[in-house]
Amino acid sequence: MVYLVVLRRTKPLPYASILVPVISILLGVLLSSIILYLLASIPPLALFNLIVRSFTSPTVLKDTLILTLIGLSLVIAFKASIWNIGAEGQFHMGMLVATWIALFTPIASIPVLAKITCILAGAVAGALWAILAGVLRAYVGLDEVPVTLMLNYVAYYVLDVLVYGPWRGRFTYGYIRTDEIPENLWLTLIPGTTAHVEVLATVLIVGLAIWFMFKYTIVGLRLRILGSNPEFLRASGVNVKHMVVLALGLSGAIAGMVGALYLLGDTHRVSYPVEAQTAGYGYLGILVAWLSMLDVRGLPLAAYVVSSLRVTGITMQIAGLGGTAIVFLFMGSVLLTYTVAKVFSEYTIVIRR
Amino acid sequence: MIEELIGIVPVFATYYLVALGHGFFEKSGVLNLAIDGLFVLGATIAFALAAYTLNPWIGVIGSSIVCSLFGVFIAYVATKLPVSHGALGLSLMFLGYGLSLVVGIPVSNYVYAKALNPSTYTVPATDTVLVVLLASSILIGVVLHYVLDRTKLGAMIKASGEDPHVAEALGVDVVRTRVIAGVIGYALIGLGSAYFTLVWRSGWDPKIYLLGHGWIAFAISLAAGRQPILTMLTASLFAGLVRHQYVVQVALGLSTEIAKMLPFIVALASMTLFYVTPFKRKMASPKSLGKPYYREERTV
Repeated sequence: MVYLVVLRRTKPLPYASILVPVISILLGVLLSSIILYLLASIPPLALFNLIVRSFTSPTVLKDTLILTLIGLSLVIAFKASIWNIGAEGQFHMGMLVATWIALFTPIASIPVLAKITCILAGAVAGALWAILAGVLRAYVGLDEVPVTLMLNYVAYYVLDVLVYGPWRGRFTYGYIRTDEIPENLWLTLIPGTTAHVEVLATVLIVGLAIWFMFKYTIVGLRLRILGSNPEFLRASGVNVKHMVVLALGLSGAIAGMVGALYLLGDTHRVSYPVEAQTAGYGYLGILVAWLSMLDVRGLPLAAYVVSSLRVTGITMQIAGLGGTAIVFLFMGSVLLTYTVAKVFSEYTIVIRR
Repeated sequence: MIEELIGIVPVFATYYLVALGHGFFEKSGVLNLAIDGLFVLGATIAFALAAYTLNPWIGVIGSSIVCSLFGVFIAYVATKLPVSHGALGLSLMFLGYGLSLVVGIPVSNYVYAKALNPSTYTVPATDTVLVVLLASSILIGVVLHYVLDRTKLGAMIKASGEDPHVAEALGVDVVRTRVIAGVIGYALIGLGSAYFTLVWRSGWDPKIYLLGHGWIAFAISLAAGRQPILTMLTASLFAGLVRHQYVVQVALGLSTEIAKMLPFIVALASMTLFYVTPFKRKMASPKSLGKPYYREERTV
């Protein structure tokens, strides 16, 4: 008899942080293309062609920047082994508060300060929404995955209530949506692309700050230990519950900030029903964070690849093939192959007789 | 009054069966985060098969079979390989959403092009059908309770969930046990999700992946400590709430969106309540739920 045996590696697989994501993306795309060929008879070659072209699409930079930010948000939580699946809800809460400030407060007319207020208020809103889940996890003991997920649905409907009712605009041509936010709040385009200067600046500032936090500060260290050995953290006198809430709060703050940025840069208004309009960045960010192997430096590249896959989906939607379906398929397949491939960075399979 | 109660039956049957299957599977120690995606997939496959064959029961059986195959896959991979149960479940959730849209949209177009009336491919909601539906769901719950509490298989499932290492040492084949729990659990999830499109909603909607009923079932199961009999209670509560959303909405003067939000808030509240009351200690989650199971050296 020949057996395949799973063994723990004595040393981690060399170059695992590059090999694992690359292999899982390739296998994941292959898996999706097989599914699409079998179920929707989409020829794989045409699909690969589209994907390759998406890498140089002019719209890819915008998504890359946004997904890098969401990826940063999730890396903070994931490094601490807090599985925040609620970036989607935190994003929408940030968008909600930014919309309120932009449409209904006098701050909106002040140049520069208005934008900054919207973005920071978005961060606060996202943080509070995440802290809700953090408190339930830390003090009640509820698993954060179902909690953050269900809060996403609640966030969608809260925004729906406002857009359908009190916030419905006067100049909407019969659509159910808010009015456009004042033009002085709109973000500045980077010439030749659909991306925005302010988003790029936020990526740089937040990215550097988080890299610094994990590399040089005690909070960063504690968050990392929370992920690997919470018992040690407790034994050394750190309040683990506070750390859990902090991890979710920081994570939610960045996701909320992105929600505000997306409103100011892209949509300029909120349309009803929000759950049907969402670009799904909160969920795509999960894939980005994992593909970066939770390394801040790998995030932009992971975000670039995921954005290209998303652009492929959208291009196919224009061709009438259902973009959401294809984005979900890519996400599911790549996450699945990643989950399995990651095992091999720490374990190996050998043949025994 | 009776009519209103009978109207709850399709909702109850959907939630109860999905929550039962989910709880049964999780008792074996596999964290099941794929539930919402595979619920949507099951509901879509049931709709597709029923619409093509014009026989709802083929849809029901097909959905159960496809879902139980996924159950085998999850149980096998999560036990054989030291993978993260959470990542595995979430990846299958997204795959489930994607697959159901790829499968469902063409069928939906086909139904539209042929101008098929839902009555030709769904289960007619006559009183007899609903009574049978209700009785069979309750019967399945009682049988599962008996299996978990009184049989060797039940003991093996619970042992694998509490501590697979000890179970293995006592001679339980953890992989086989979990695969069996996965087949039974996901067959029930498939059954319940088929009732969603074929009895409750009588049709398919491309926004199906946005509804989150799988997560409601997740909360129903958790708030009852994964006990089949208690799940009946929580499932009826949510079925009543969701079915009579409109009544609740008017009675409390809420808008439609707040009413849609309500099940999720009640779900979060009931999970919280379950955790802060002594119920948690009495009906704790399996100790090894979601923990990778790795024996130092093993064969694949």
